Parts: sequence; C-alpha cells; structure tokens
Amino acid sequence: MKRASPLALCVASLFASTAFAAAVVGQPAPAFTATDLAGKPVSLADFNGKTVVLEWHNFGCPFVQKHYRSGNMQALQKKYGTEVVWLTVNSTNAGHQDYQSPAQLGKALAEAGAAPTRFVMDEPGQVGLAYGAKVTPHMYVIDPSGKVAYNGAIDDKRSTDVADVKTAKNFVVAALEEMKAGKPVSNASNAPYGCTIKYR
Amino acid sequence: MSRLLLAATAFLLALASHAAPVRTERVEAELLAERVAAAPGKPATVGLRLRMDEHWHTYWRNPGDSGLPTKIRWTLPEGWTAGPIQWPYPEGQRIGPLMNYGYSGEVLLLVDLTPPADAKPGPVALKADADWLVCKDVCIPEKASLALDFAVAPGEPGAVAGNAGAFSRSRAQLPVPTTGWTSEALVSGNRLTLRVLPPAGGVAPAKVSYFPYRENFVDHPAPQALVRDGHGFRLEAKLVEPVAAGVTEASGVFVAESSWPGLPGRKAVELAMPVAASLPALAAPVGVPAGEAGGSLALALAFALAGGLLLNLMPCVFPVLGIKVMGFVRHAHGDSRALWMQGAVFSLGVLVSFLVLAGLLLALRAGGAELGWGFQLQSPAFVTLLAALFFLMALNLFGVFEWGGFAQSMTSNVSAKGRYADAFLAGVLATVVATPCTAPFMGAAVGFTLAQPAAVSLAVFAVLGAGMALPVLALSFFPGALKRLPRPGPWMETFKQVMAFPLFATVIWLAWVLGAQAGNDAVMALLAGLLVLGMGAWVYGRWARSESLLRFVFAALFAALGLWLAWPGADARPGEARAAAVRAGEIDWQPWSPERLAELRAAGTPVFVDFTAAWCVTCQVNKRVALNRDEVARALAARGVVALKADWTNHDPRITAALAELGRNALPVYALYAPGQAQPVLLPEVLTASLVVDELSKLPAAKPAAASTLTQR
Repeated sequence: MKRASPLALCVASLFASTAFAAAVVGQPAPAFTATDLAGKPVSLADFNGKTVVLEWHNFGCPFVQKHYRSGNMQALQKKYGTEVVWLTVNSTNAGHQDYQSPAQLGKALAEAGAAPTRFVMDEPGQVGLAYGAKVTPHMYVIDPSGKVAYNGAIDDKRSTDVADVKTAKNFVVAALEEMKAGKPVSNASNAPYGCTIKYR
Repeated sequence: MSRLLLAATAFLLALASHAAPVRTERVEAELLAERVAAAPGKPATVGLRLRMDEHWHTYWRNPGDSGLPTKIRWTLPEGWTAGPIQWPYPEGQRIGPLMNYGYSGEVLLLVDLTPPADAKPGPVALKADADWLVCKDVCIPEKASLALDFAVAPGEPGAVAGNAGAFSRSRAQLPVPTTGWTSEALVSGNRLTLRVLPPAGGVAPAKVSYFPYRENFVDHPAPQALVRDGHGFRLEAKLVEPVAAGVTEASGVFVAESSWPGLPGRKAVELAMPVAASLPALAAPVGVPAGEAGGSLALALAFALAGGLLLNLMPCVFPVLGIKVMGFVRHAHGDSRALWMQGAVFSLGVLVSFLVLAGLLLALRAGGAELGWGFQLQSPAFVTLLAALFFLMALNLFGVFEWGGFAQSMTSNVSAKGRYADAFLAGVLATVVATPCTAPFMGAAVGFTLAQPAAVSLAVFAVLGAGMALPVLALSFFPGALKRLPRPGPWMETFKQVMAFPLFATVIWLAWVLGAQAGNDAVMALLAGLLVLGMGAWVYGRWARSESLLRFVFAALFAALGLWLAWPGADARPGEARAAAVRAGEIDWQPWSPERLAELRAAGTPVFVDFTAAWCVTCQVNKRVALNRDEVARALAARGVVALKADWTNHDPRITAALAELGRNALPVYALYAPGQAQPVLLPEVLTASLVVDELSKLPAAKPAAASTLTQR
C-alpha cells in the first residue's frame, strides 16, 4: 500500500495518540502547546507565518555543553534572533538527574547568555514524542507555511569536543541561509547526534 | 656473540607488547597485542579493550538513535599503517522509545597495524588516542592516551600469553563476510525488505536480527518482521521518513540466535545488500526448522478453523448468537430453503466483516501503524459507538421501539429481503463483538499470518471467519435440532426481552473498558449520552403510529445530542480507575516495560508477563478464574516470580513489538520467563489455576533471599 486511503488515515488518526511520531520534512509540523519558564503557554500556532527553529536541550548533556561552552548556540540564537523564532525545548523527565526546574533553567540560561525567543518546558515529553526528537541537540526548522524544512543534527562534527565547533559545517545555518535566499534546503534531513532524550 | 644477541632479543621481546590499562570514570581502557611482535610488511592485530562499568555501554559503528562510535587515532612509527576498526556485532539497547546499538560489559575492537617491509627489527612504541562515549541513561564523553610497547621481529612472532582468549572471543563476534548467499533489498514506501537466500543445499537461520551500517535509514526501534521465503527468509524493517532517496545498498550485519548455518561458532554475517527495483515472488517456505516461530500455512489454517469454531463459545459472541438462533426458531418449522439461505447470508456477513477488518488491519500496518487484532477497541470513540449500538439493540429487544422503515427489526416477521439484510447484519455484529475475544489456537494463527504476504493473511482470516460461522451454518442446513424447540408463540416475546439483558451487560462491560481507557469522566459522559439516546428511542417508539415529521425530528435530535454527549474528548486520559485495576487482586502486579523485563531477566529473576487489555474478554475471564487465585499467588511467591502486566487497553507500539517477538498479535498472551532460558514458555489462551501452578512448579525453587541477607549480617 503506497498511499493510505482517506478512510485508513481517518481510522489511523484514532490510534495515533501515544505513538512515537515524527516531524517529516515537507510535511506540516506537529502543533503543540506547552509552557515557558514563567509558566505561560507557548504554542507553535503563536508563530504562524514565521520561520521557527526548535532546539532540543539538556544542560546535563555533553553534546549540548559543547555548543553552549563554545558560545555557538548563543551566537546562533542572537544572530537569527530578529529573523526567526528560536524555541529551545527541554523534554527531560522530572525524575531524571539531568532535570532542572524552570527556576534553575532560567538561572543557567542567563549565566550562559542564551537568547532563545522562548524556552519550552516539555516535562511530560509530549512535544518531543510528537516530533520524534531523539537526542539533544536535535534541531528542526519550520518554514513560514508551517512545514518542516529541516530535521537533523546541528552540524557535521559528531563529537563533544568544543574545538570541533569552529571547523564544523552547521546544517541549521545552511538551511536558514538557503531559505532566506528562497532556495530549497539542500540537506534537509540527516541523522541527529547527541545524548538520548530522557523521556519518562 | 650470537648467543648474546639471542638472549638480548628475548629480553627485549619479554619487555615488549606491554601496556598499562588507563582507568577513566566509567571505563578501563587498554591496548592489547595478539602477538609479541610484527613481521616487516605483514599486518599484526592489536586491539583496544574497553571494560565498561556495569549498566554502562559504548557504541557500534552505527550507534543507533543516539551515541557515537568509538574512535582511535594512531601515532605510529614512520611507514606504519593502521587499518579500520573491525567491529564485533552489537547488541540492541532499548532506551525508552529509542534504540541504540553498542556493547556492554567488555569489548575488544581489533585493528590491523602493518609495519613497512623494510622495518628494522627491534622495539617500537605504538600510541593511540581513543575517544568514546559511554552511556547509561546519561552520557560521558571519555578519552584516553594509550601506549603499547611493541616490536618488529622477522619470522612468525609468538602469541602473547594471556591475550589469546580475548582475541579469539572478539574474532568469533566479527561478522563473517559471506559469499554464495543471495541477498538483495527492496525499498517500497517506508518499508525495507531484505531477501536472503542460502546457497544451494543450505538453510537460513530461523531467527535473525538486522543491524544496518547506514545511519538514519532504518527506524531502529521498530520491530523487524521475518517471513520464510523458500529456503531463506525475508526481513522487513521500517524506514525513517522521509526515506532517503537514491539509496543503492542496505548492507549490514545479520545476527542469528545461535550459530549461523555453515559457520559453527559464529552468529553474525555481513551481507552485501544491493537495492533492487523489485523482488521475485515469495516462495513457499521450505525446510523451516520444526517448532520454530512461524509454522506452516496449513497448520495456521487448521488453527484458524479451530479457533473460529471455539470463538462461538467465548463470552463475547454469546449475546449476538442468542438473537441469531432465535431468528432461526421462527423459520425452523417452515421453509427449509429459506432457513439455509439465512444461514448462508449470516456466514457471508461474518466472512465479509472478517475480511474487511483484516484488510483494514493490514492496510494500516502497511502504512506503518503498529496495531494488532482487536485494535479497533483501543479507540475510545469506537468503544463508545459500540456501547451506543448495543444499548439501542437492547432497547429494541425490550420493545421500546421498532426499527421500521430503513432496517427491519431482528425479530419481526418481515419480507425475505429484510430477513437477509438482518442475517447479514447479525454476521457483521457477531464479528465485531468477537474480536476482543481470542480463542485457543487463534493466537498462533493470527500471529503467524501478520508476517505473511497479504493474500496468505487474508486466507487465514477468512478461514477464521468460516470457522466462526460454521456452527450456525450447520444448524441451518440440518434443522432437525431446531425442530425440538417449541413452535413460535408468545414465549418468543419473553425470550426476546430476556435477551436484552446480556446486551445491557455488554454495555456495562464496554463502559468499564472506556473507563480504563479514558477515565471516569468519559464513563459519565457515555452514560449521560446513553440516557439521551434512550429518550430518542422512546420518542421514536412512543409515537410510532404518528404520521408527524416531529417524531423523526425529535428522535434524530435526541440521538445526535446523545452521541455528542457520549463522544470521548481528545484530552481524555486514563484515570485512576486503571491504576486501581492493577492493584486489585492478591498478586503484586507491576507495570511491564521492555526495560523492566530486561532488568529482571538480567538479574536471573523468573518473570510472568500477562499481556492483557480491558477490552479482551478472555483476559478478564482468565484473570478472575485462573490468575487472581490464592494458589497462583502462593506459587508465584514461592518461586520468586515477578508478575508484570502489559496493558494493551490503549494503543502501545512497544507492546505490539513485544507481542511480535513472541510471534503473536492478539490477546491474551501469557509468557513465563525462566532464568537462563532465551525464550519464554507461552501458556495457553484459556487458563486454569492448576495449569498455571503446574507451569510455575517447573521453575527452580526461589533462593531464600531474605534469609541470606540476614545471615550476611
């Protein structure tokens, strides 16, 4: 069966509630509503018509640390701060040693000089599961029409070595620049690297 | 002089091939040499040994959904070259919804180092900077600078004492590059099919896991399905979407459960997997080892027929069959042709609905959904609809209203056409309510069929339906038995009303299922909806003689309002009712998860897993009559068995995958894992307490854990 019939899709949607889904490039990005560090609701729908970057985050992860210690992630957040909506999402479950409360996260982000548009607390992991986010940092770019434009790694140097950031080719930058130039994203989907997300 | 040189060389070689292990936070790393020296121009094998702390692991060349492969950077004397890491086959490491490929315990990564042909004999220092990521649920990047005092010596250097075992173990785990086998792949939609056939006269292993070299290609945690294809097999895996375009090969490592046929002591092979435009038709299985998962089509069909027959005795189908048999009574004393036509149309109804349900199941599975038999009852919306339908049927039997017009009453004396529609509908209903029941033999048949091509699956489902329809069909052809029943008369009205009670009982059960799925509020909404639906039915029946359009308008209005009230909201969540259900009974049930099961089995604890669902009636009956009994609870405790409950009431792909591994796709399934046994014992679908106790008594007696703790103090 190449294409699911409308009926099959309709029935399938009844069962799609708990599955580990995925955000597929070229398809609409899964909608979500969660809360930010202040407990205010954040919805993907709030940013209709804008380019949205999703960054999966966990300060306890050495791969995430690489991009914050080197200042790489903060620089990207600031560089694209006016052009795109940058949402940093944390799906670490509350029982895990890596979990940080909104207050702790707020402090740590401020110390690191991070500047995402909003920070999304995804403590039950629903946003992560809907996107099929596997690792931190798993990166997504959503185009202004709400379709997934990029899904994959942050760059091509799969390491925890801070020195690698300088020489790495950043896939998110490449995707955003291509989108800005009105070109299709040439490398739109690849294997993300990092630490397993600590889902419940 | 020459003796002095010899002694000096021996002394140097004794010093050589020596390295000190480096201890990092979670790993002990060391370079090992297989031989005391390398001959000029000839490769010598050395290895990086990583000893991980308990529960920690490092990664294979394709690390799976996260992680990093271990890297080695060599610093070698002038002219030396280092080959790639030779990776032993990995193990799958499931973490929540994700899958990693790697190693736990200890791994020796082999590398061939080649000195130049003009290398001068004597000691050399080899250096390696190794990087690895070691993870439990958290990850630590670690590195070590390692050194190995090695040597170049002409001739055939001797083995390093004490290292031979480690090297031969690691070599035994290297995938064997295999030739002579036919291997090709097909990418179709989001499915990868790998066709593997042995050379002439060979056999393929019965159970195989596939570890792809390519990253981000195969959906690692998705279950892999195996189908026999002639002497070989086909392995089907799900792909990551969007499926990478232009993939020309899907090579990887195939690991058998025991030795790979023709390769004693070796489990893993490496097969080249060119992607083909199409694959030849599936061949009939040949030479499948007896007793392996799968089984033959003929056996599956026989099981399906028996399972279908027995379905009639299961508690789900009973109310509908009662109504059907009553319909027969009306005709038993009349026209025999009309009677068997009725039986045939009923059977057709059963067959068609089995095929539709099976077709839908196959189509959805092909689309990537991980579903199993009875899947429709995992949907609160479907359960609500079914409850509403049964409620209306029961009201109809009570005489609150007659269908009239669009569909005829199940029992009224109407035209032949209406009766056929009736019989067909009864067949459809019987099938729909039969799905939550699994009869004996049926589990194996359904489990077998879902790994088969669609035509075979549909044949098995059709035979299952035929088996279920057979008793009614037989009755309609040989109405002698029915003749003994009293002639139609006023007693029929009484009987009709009595039959409403089992239907109400079914509604109660469905309300309970809904409660387990969507919580207390959903049950309340359902009951309120049924009340309003009842009002609609009453309006429709009360003014049955009225010509006014208002009767229809109000009936329809109430019906719509009732359904709207009952419809489960999208935010419905399993409530506390479910947790309470787990707590009920004497057995200390713990929730199942693949991790928990693996943990218990690794600790050598016997485990009993109850794959169950609120909508699975056979499961509920077994729970009452066989499982929640004192003697079973005592037997479990006496053998130190941990009881895990895998609840499939709501859709759960992990349970679907676990069932697939057991060759099943329908409930109930009872699996008893004895310590040290690779495969669990599967208990029959219909249990008795003594049967469970007998199986438990085959386990070794539990170690008196509490006592030993006391004596240690």
